[in-house]
Amino acid sequence: MPEPILQLAGIARDFYDGRNLRRVLEKTDLDIYPGEFTILAGPSGSGKTTLLTIMGLILKPSEGSIAIRGRAITKMSESALASLRLHNYGFVFQLAELLPALSVMENIIVASGIQGRRVPAALRRRAEELLDGFGLADCINLRPLQLSGGQKQRVAIARALVNEPAVLLCDEPTSALDSESSAIVLDVLKKLSRDTNRAMIMVTHDPRVFPFADRLIKIENGAIVSDTRTIGQPLPGETH
Amino acid sequence: MRSIVALKILLYDKATTAGSLIGVIAIVFLVGQQLAVLFGLFTYMSVLVDHSGADIWICSKNTLNINATDTLPERYADRISGLPFIAWAEPVLFGNATFITRDGKAESLQVVGLQPSSRALWPWRFHEGSVEDMLEDEGLTLERLDLGVYGDPKIGDVFEVNDVRMRISAITQSIKGFSGRMAFTNVVKARKILKTTPGRCKAVVVKLKPGVPLEEAIAGIQAVLPDTEVMSSAQLSARTRIYYVKNTGMGGSFGFSTMIGALVGIIIITLTMYTGVLQRQKDFAVLRALGARKSDIFVIVLCQSLIIALVGIFIGFLLLGSFLNGTVDTNLPVYMPRRIAPMLALGTLLLCMLGSLLAVRKAISVEPASVFR
Ligand SMILES: Nc1ncnc2c1ncn2[C@@H]1O[C@H](COP(=O)(O)OP(=O)(O)OP(=O)(O)O)[C@@H](O)[C@H]1O
Ligand SMILES: [Mg+2]
Repeated sequence: MPEPILQLAGIARDFYDGRNLRRVLEKTDLDIYPGEFTILAGPSGSGKTTLLTIMGLILKPSEGSIAIRGRAITKMSESALASLRLHNYGFVFQLAELLPALSVMENIIVASGIQGRRVPAALRRRAEELLDGFGLADCINLRPLQLSGGQKQRVAIARALVNEPAVLLCDEPTSALDSESSAIVLDVLKKLSRDTNRAMIMVTHDPRVFPFADRLIKIENGAIVSDTRTIGQPLPGETH
Repeated sequence: MRSIVALKILLYDKATTAGSLIGVIAIVFLVGQQLAVLFGLFTYMSVLVDHSGADIWICSKNTLNINATDTLPERYADRISGLPFIAWAEPVLFGNATFITRDGKAESLQVVGLQPSSRALWPWRFHEGSVEDMLEDEGLTLERLDLGVYGDPKIGDVFEVNDVRMRISAITQSIKGFSGRMAFTNVVKARKILKTTPGRCKAVVVKLKPGVPLEEAIAGIQAVLPDTEVMSSAQLSARTRIYYVKNTGMGGSFGFSTMIGALVGIIIITLTMYTGVLQRQKDFAVLRALGARKSDIFVIVLCQSLIIALVGIFIGFLLLGSFLNGTVDTNLPVYMPRRIAPMLALGTLLLCMLGSLLAVRKAISVEPASVFR
């Protein structure tokens, strides 16, 4: 019976919009399990990104508590949270958001050296393998500006995976791509979803991904309205 | 990796980097050139003292300025010659006179009188002629860099200096004065030109025996000659410079232009580095999301401002160096004391750091959540 990798308890988030404090995310309890591929769906403005960035330790919740592998992180400092992100998370954004000043290889390994530590050679090798697997072996030394949108997004996925994160968070990773590129990127993501250790949470509207999801969470007006597991996929820990 | 990221971003954003570099170069060059001119003028002010070859100067009481001192009895030199720590003491003669050019224009001269037995105040560099030519009966030196203002006279030309007939017999090189243009002649003619009462001199200069402490010697001489001002050459030199800085308003003027140079530089640095960070806001947000701490972003921007400072200081000093080289032996008063250069470099580095403050503040305040918007 696997332990949840990520636990949200009573999480809510308020934002000031001009004058009023508005609750954008209602009190939410949510457990995320290793190996689970979760899709987060809902209308625009419903709070998907808000929930995702709270799970990613990027946005602070207004209330509630978060635990990673059972360890509460709510009171941690900003730098401690940054280190947790570095070692446990991979992020894929809507746009690739590669650093244009760095080469493809540097973009992939930049995070592991960003706190001042040496980048191990093994990490470079892993980056090469990932790029190879994504059909980008020839792009290692190119600059992001020389890549197509789909190539950039695959580099961004390699960047998210190179640290072998326990949690991979993707916010509409294909919505900015043309249909051809998004098909290629989706293919990569679908393969990743089969990984049995990594929790993967993706905000997406793309119906092509849905069949691969283990779990579908629907969110409306800041509240989870349904949380279903695909047939044959019992809730981890649930006894039948 | 942080320094590599810093460097790569600088290389990528070439325009803003070039802008920041120009700010640093502006500080080094503008401030450095102002300082060089100021120190150049300083060397003019105290040229006679600095090149005297003497350790101690004895002047009239309350002398604030080598170029404005009253006369003393020559026998003061004999009175102290017997002191055990003195190698030699001798009266010197110099003062202001008026040189009349061929077209009747008056130019102020600082005339120094010497005789073959003199041990101090000799001209130290000749362009044409020699000490012997200078000591001739009516002989007078002029400075090559000043020849233009005298109407380009030649060796052998005859002129009047304070109604005394003098002949140009030698030309010095780069011996520039401040209150008057330097001219050397023999002591007999100097006395006639300066109308100094017989038996009186302008100052007594002293050379100490090796190893004698300066302070003790000054006190010893002062005790023998209580109604004089006894100073080391360095003291008189500094006193003269301070006098001019205070009394000509040049202190304020140089201070102002130096400040403008520094200010222009720091504003350029601030604006361009801030622009640089604004351009890279998204990159910093991405790095923060991926695990960079605020301190890591701080290090990146700090590295950038260090790189810009060091490269800018290097280029700035190259430019300043060629400016200084190009002005050697010209009429521009330019001199950069050795200890000033590292101070200028350090000051520029600090100003560059100061200029990057706003950029640093902006960079570390970037929110990682902004990548998702
Ligand atoms: N930083 C913020 N300040 C103020 N309001 C915010 C902020 N971030 C999000 N919101 C508000 O919170 C609500 C939910 O935003 P969120 O980005 O989570 O929606 P979303 O479901 O991701 O929408 P989309 O599908 O358009 O990306 C929106 O009404 C948005 O205006
Ligand atoms: Mg969103």
